[in-house]
Amino acid sequence: MLPLELYQGVEPAWCPGCGNFGMLKAFKQALAELEIKPQQLLVVSGIGQSGKFPHYLQCNTFNGIHGRTLPVATGAKLANPELVVVAAAGDGDCYGEGGNHLLAAWRRNPDITLSVHNNQVYALTKGQASPTTDEGHQTLLQPEGVYTPPLFALALAVAQGCAWVARGFAGDVAHLTRLYKEALTFKGFAMLEVLQPCVTFNRVNTFQWYRQRVYRLEEAPDYRPEDELWAYGKAKEWGERIPLGVIYRRPRPTLEEVHPGLAAGPPLKRFVERPMDQLLADFS
Amino acid sequence: MAVDLNILIGGAAGQGVHAITLPLAKALMRHGGQVHFIQAYESRIRGGHLYNVVRLADRPLASSREGVDLLIALNAETVARHRPELSSQGLVIYDTSEVQELPPGLAGLGLSPGDLLPGVKAGDIAVNAGACGAVLGLLRVPLKPLLELLKETFAAKGAEVVGWNLTAATRGYELAAAREFAVSLAGMTPPPSPRLLISGHEAVALGALAAGVQFVSGYPMTPWTGVLNALGQRARQYGVVVEQAEDEIAAINLALGASFAGLRALTGTSGGGFCLMTEALGLAAMTETPLVIVMASRPGPSTGLPTRTAQGDLGFVLNAGQDDFPRAVLAPGTPAQGFALTAKAFNLADRYQLPVFLLTDQALADSTFTHSREDFPKAVSMDRALATGPGKGTYERYALTPNGISPRRLPGMGPELVVADSDEHTPDGHLTEDLAVRVLMHEKRLRKLQGLVQELGGLTTAGPPDAPLCLVCWGSSLGPVAEAVARLNESRTPARLVHLSELWPFPREAVKGALQGAKKLVMAEVNATGQMNRLLRQETGLAADHLVLKYDGLPFTPEYILRGLKEEA
Repeated sequence: MLPLELYQGVEPAWCPGCGNFGMLKAFKQALAELEIKPQQLLVVSGIGQSGKFPHYLQCNTFNGIHGRTLPVATGAKLANPELVVVAAAGDGDCYGEGGNHLLAAWRRNPDITLSVHNNQVYALTKGQASPTTDEGHQTLLQPEGVYTPPLFALALAVAQGCAWVARGFAGDVAHLTRLYKEALTFKGFAMLEVLQPCVTFNRVNTFQWYRQRVYRLEEAPDYRPEDELWAYGKAKEWGERIPLGVIYRRPRPTLEEVHPGLAAGPPLKRFVERPMDQLLADFS
Repeated sequence: MAVDLNILIGGAAGQGVHAITLPLAKALMRHGGQVHFIQAYESRIRGGHLYNVVRLADRPLASSREGVDLLIALNAETVARHRPELSSQGLVIYDTSEVQELPPGLAGLGLSPGDLLPGVKAGDIAVNAGACGAVLGLLRVPLKPLLELLKETFAAKGAEVVGWNLTAATRGYELAAAREFAVSLAGMTPPPSPRLLISGHEAVALGALAAGVQFVSGYPMTPWTGVLNALGQRARQYGVVVEQAEDEIAAINLALGASFAGLRALTGTSGGGFCLMTEALGLAAMTETPLVIVMASRPGPSTGLPTRTAQGDLGFVLNAGQDDFPRAVLAPGTPAQGFALTAKAFNLADRYQLPVFLLTDQALADSTFTHSREDFPKAVSMDRALATGPGKGTYERYALTPNGISPRRLPGMGPELVVADSDEHTPDGHLTEDLAVRVLMHEKRLRKLQGLVQELGGLTTAGPPDAPLCLVCWGSSLGPVAEAVARLNESRTPARLVHLSELWPFPREAVKGALQGAKKLVMAEVNATGQMNRLLRQETGLAADHLVLKYDGLPFTPEYILRGLKEEA
């Protein structure tokens, strides 16, 4: 195990009590236990409170724009497969603005970890609905309540064959640490959604609200994360009871393994010469 | 007698117009001809009307021209549409199963599927090859090289199809060889060293490969797709990661991720696709991530004319994105320039850590030129401009430097942590709202322009340098405008050409020097408002006395330029 101080970043600008603190703590703990050095790690983030995540760590960082964490992370992983690549995105970032990239990531299966900070609200812009806000939830912009059902991103992930799908809770740091460890070591696209209460703009889905509902899936007697239909049912379970843990796990070859451009090794480490006469030969 | 022959091959999409153009053009080039061809097509897979024009001469060509000397009509519409363009000694080679009767007064050579392929029911599929053979027969060019090329072209369709095409080409050759025609190439000799037949976008793709491109991402869109396909076909051979993105937003962000991690990366698009990329263009600038972007414009706004040409996106490319940031814009005028400028783009992107555009269009993309091997360099030098050796203390990705360029290191390749941010940031890459730092960082980024502008110039000039009449153009308009200038000088109207291929940062001093003493300045652009003329005025205070503009979706011809000059006079 590496010392936790190794990952100490600048002081977070999150609200006191924010669910992001639990995520940061669990993530650092997982890195330390897995002995992933800051130099090996690249965290790609977008915009929102989640976008600040890598700044509060010690790691290589690409804090890009809203919704675009996954293509940047995928490009970096294809360039240097030896990097441990993590995309940190919020529910608005990943499920709203960047939805198309999420669909593509499930299909591509790059060996990266997607950590979704889901607080069911747009916090940085002061509380509008996000794609995961429950129906009826009143906000500044939706004073009469949200009138569309939430996006079941994990159910979509299972349906599309995302290789690894899980849900964690920022209020259960020990369990979340285990999930981060599995996600970081899983070979393939690991999608971990973390319930992460917003203490300022979400007065409904609070720590207490979640604590009354969450349960650990792996302790259930019928736990079958390799079973697609079972996983689909668990991914759609929401309301009275909310499952935590690995919902679906079905490894398949990663993007880096199947990509023809990497067949001869990563281009960063192995440059193929391009002699001019060979390049021009097709045109005479 | 000088040879300058225009061969138009027309038909519906799906009739094999494209399939035979390249073998025919190559056979003529290998025989010793200088060949240039353009493609005009519609946004459809079957039907409609498309045509290619192969121009053949005994001196180098950089442009198409008007008029048709040999009309290959695979359907009746081709005859109807292009008949007015036929020259007095012109001849129509036509498919008799499609064209029942030629209009009176036209000289014709009818090819019937039954004659070309006796006893083969599917004979009509090989009329295009028969017509190819007929062209060589008329021009007295040996058939064998064409047969070899047709074999290659149709190999994937199986031995039977290859056989049909060879038989049809041979029969077409025999029928035509018995005919008299005004032009003969019998006296031509093959060049001492092989020439190259290459299109603008193929040359851009080769330039990228020669420059060491390692990552390419894109979403298909005409006319950019040619670059993407050409690179995809060579990806495994040269260890290039070519990734088809889910949209243009992903395309540019994938490329930025790969570039950040250390690969030479290229993305590209056209028209509306670039609208989607503009947000991440700013990201490239703010994170100072090197990136080469092929922007193949097409007539707009919106979907516009998907398969036609325009130079209407100059203003867009110069101004896309929020606020001020440095970028470079290069616009090649020939395949050889396309190659050289693509290679240059990668070095500029790495040296100055910014986005570099190759601004092209369908006219360049699909125009195929005859080049000599000497038009291309022996080798291309790669300057990655990465920081090497051990660093001092904490690494600052955005260290403030006099030239604005901060030492660049790669994540995971050393002890330094590389931190990049789309927010305004401190030198170590972390987001900041310190407004004094903001000013320093903004100035640092813009300072890079001072060095960058020193690396640009790229003017092509021709004609007497003191000629009072000066024609200015940029990008793909080089060939037609240069030929117009040459024709003016041949007819004793002194005229000079100034062509810009390196547009931004604007090579102010070089342009001012080239325009010195001009009494009449004419700007020729394929857009409706004279976008380069506005840029010229903005940067030099000089402006054209007369604009020759075109915005019907087709490229300039030398004749169009000359008519435009006359209209004004």
